[in-house]
Amino acid sequence: MASLSSATSTPAASSTPIWSRLARSPFWLRIALIAAILLLLEYYGRFHADPAFMRPPSAVVEAFFTSVISEPKIVSALWLCITEISIAYGMSVVFGVAIGLIVGATKFSRAALFPIILLLFAIPQVSFMPLVILIFGLGPAAKIAFGFSHGIFPIIVNVVAGMRDVKELHLRGARSMGASKADIIRHVILPNMVPSLFTGLRLGMTLTLLGVILAELYVSTGGVGYYTRVFAENYNPAPLFALITSLAVIAIFFNEIVRIAENTLTPGKRRAPRIQSKSVQK
Amino acid sequence: MDRSSLSSRSVQWAFLALAAGAWYLATATGSVSRLFLPPPREVFTALVALVQTNAFWSAVLVTASTVAKAYVLALIIGILAGYLVSRSKLAVATIEPVISGLFTIPITLFFPMFILFFGVGTGSKVAYGATYAFFPIALNTIAAFANMEQRYLLAAQSMGGNRWQIFRYVLMPGALPVLFTGLRIGFFICLASVLGGETISSVAGVGRNIALTAELMEPGRMFAWISFVVCMSVVLNLLAFSFENRIRAR
Amino acid sequence: MQNNQDKIAISIRNVTQRFGDASQPDSVLALDNVSLDIKKGEFVCLLGPSGCGKSTLLNVVGGLFKPTSGTATVEGRLVDGKPHPDKIAFVFQESTLFPWYTVIENFHIALKFQGIPKAEWDDRAMAALRAVGMASFARHYPDQLSVGMRQRVNMARGICVKTDILLMDEPFAALDEQTRMVLGEDLSQLLAETGKTIVFVTHSLAEAVFLSDRIAVFTARPGKIKTIIDVDTPHPRSPDFMLEPKFSELRNECYALLRDEIRATMALQRDPQAV
Repeated sequence: MASLSSATSTPAASSTPIWSRLARSPFWLRIALIAAILLLLEYYGRFHADPAFMRPPSAVVEAFFTSVISEPKIVSALWLCITEISIAYGMSVVFGVAIGLIVGATKFSRAALFPIILLLFAIPQVSFMPLVILIFGLGPAAKIAFGFSHGIFPIIVNVVAGMRDVKELHLRGARSMGASKADIIRHVILPNMVPSLFTGLRLGMTLTLLGVILAELYVSTGGVGYYTRVFAENYNPAPLFALITSLAVIAIFFNEIVRIAENTLTPGKRRAPRIQSKSVQK
Repeated sequence: MDRSSLSSRSVQWAFLALAAGAWYLATATGSVSRLFLPPPREVFTALVALVQTNAFWSAVLVTASTVAKAYVLALIIGILAGYLVSRSKLAVATIEPVISGLFTIPITLFFPMFILFFGVGTGSKVAYGATYAFFPIALNTIAAFANMEQRYLLAAQSMGGNRWQIFRYVLMPGALPVLFTGLRIGFFICLASVLGGETISSVAGVGRNIALTAELMEPGRMFAWISFVVCMSVVLNLLAFSFENRIRAR
Repeated sequence: MQNNQDKIAISIRNVTQRFGDASQPDSVLALDNVSLDIKKGEFVCLLGPSGCGKSTLLNVVGGLFKPTSGTATVEGRLVDGKPHPDKIAFVFQESTLFPWYTVIENFHIALKFQGIPKAEWDDRAMAALRAVGMASFARHYPDQLSVGMRQRVNMARGICVKTDILLMDEPFAALDEQTRMVLGEDLSQLLAETGKTIVFVTHSLAEAVFLSDRIAVFTARPGKIKTIIDVDTPHPRSPDFMLEPKFSELRNECYALLRDEIRATMALQRDPQAV
């Protein structure tokens, strides 16, 4: 049927020109956007900016190699961060899931205990930060503790929510098939909880990162916080940016691990997009 | 069921009572160092003394005004940017993942940059708080306007509404619930980040005072400050939730 | 009445609609050269299996988009992809009552969009609500109503704007059969009283026969009009009409025409590349 609206009646093999396809593809547009921003920063940083406050991306890359990766103390500070994050997150997951399962187990425990958890979740933990440092000292223990206390909450909240929001329809269906209480828990409630669990795991990682980084920055006598303070006080933007970018890459790396874990462990189901396009659940 | 809500309530009050009791016991028996957990009495007297000082109120004013400035900034930029992006499907598909991807990195990482640019005064905290709060506000604004259910827009079109009418009577009220969630989250993120910034590096404000009391080893006053912050945020949370519920229930 | 029957309200000429680029494998030919004339005061049903393009055709007539080719003319005016709210009112399948307004506010908005002066709003709204028996729910919010009640209000909103033409896209699909029957009677009554032109999309054979003056039976995708069946019974029709042998005959005739189309549609769903 001849279509009057298409401008060209091209043979089946040919398609729209490559640049108009790229212009319509969000992925390539994003690349173009980021490249444009970097180019702009490069131009501004080189010719217009005060070198005490801002340096172009090329200088940052250079600083990465000369001032960050080549400094064994900075490298070990970064590794320490990675360790702290890993331990804090591991603890958050174990305790978060355990507490979540306990609180979410019955209607009563949910109604009674969940509001308490939500209340605790709402308190800005940053006001406890100096106290935590006081108790645990200036070393990694404080950072792990702070990361743990941040990361555990979204996991608990999401596990409980996942257990709570089971559709009545499914419960009735299972009971009609003769399922026992244990069967229902195993085959209806727990699987239903899994998507919510992974949302919680993702948020837990984001918050664990936050907690550890906050604590690290606060303790300015050693570790990452020391170097950020030194670079900032000495008006040395390039190494500062390089250090921050390294930490950002570490953060992205951890988030990716969680995302890949989610995609591997929940095959067939909706895959977590590379970039999480869901606003924060709090 | 009234009985079950009664028993849940009693569990919650029991929990609070238990926590208070544990606090009292721990400090009375000396099993926890006075430095880490001062007795409730001491905290209470410190709090009472604190709220009567000028220094307290000027610090609260500093923090409050910083939060206010940062939040308003984030509101304006976030809603504007979010709305503009939501107007085009391509813009949403391109830009929204960048914003939400960036948000998974703790923006706290960039705090030293703000100190570098703006110094240790309130300016750096305003910029930092605004930047942090921008994300949930912009993301929720995009979601609110872009995910407007097509059928309502279609219906409004079929009824002959022009662009302005559709915006005012369909798009805006429809988007309000999701928008307000973003504003609420944005506010608390703004508050927490300003406090965090003040704690890490500043010369005035509530966060600074908490850090100071820790440095000076004054547990009573530190807990007084912490109690104040906790009470304030609980109250603010309740206010925010009841306000949001009133918007939704309308 | 004779004069009315001769005037054409809606003229559909050679409407073809293709979604997606013709060169792409996933493009869909929804409508294939459909032509139909609908007279003023007629009740015409578009009846066919799922995906046969009947809703698409309705949307084209309503001006919600421009077809790939062909034209739709309403009372002499070309529709051209723009809604004509002064002539056409739409009732969608899902209730499109705005959940953030009360029932009566929803009516106000519809009237406002149409440009009707504020002074008339309450009278028109309450009259329409009374017509569907929902007058006491004026200050409720849509989600406080049951699905059936919502659809009744939805329908009333389409009627209160007093247009000559009413386009209805499976408005009763979400309702239980009993409510459908009652509302069907009301619709028939409305037609007799106001002489509106109604185009009604449905899956239900009984509904089509009960309500229509003419039934346009569609083929499976790509949609073409297979046959037009006349139902020669004047409006308003009483439920007794369903007991007449004529009703069953017409209903069976529809089924005979549709049976193959329905099976073809099911085969398409199993293997989209077939046919």
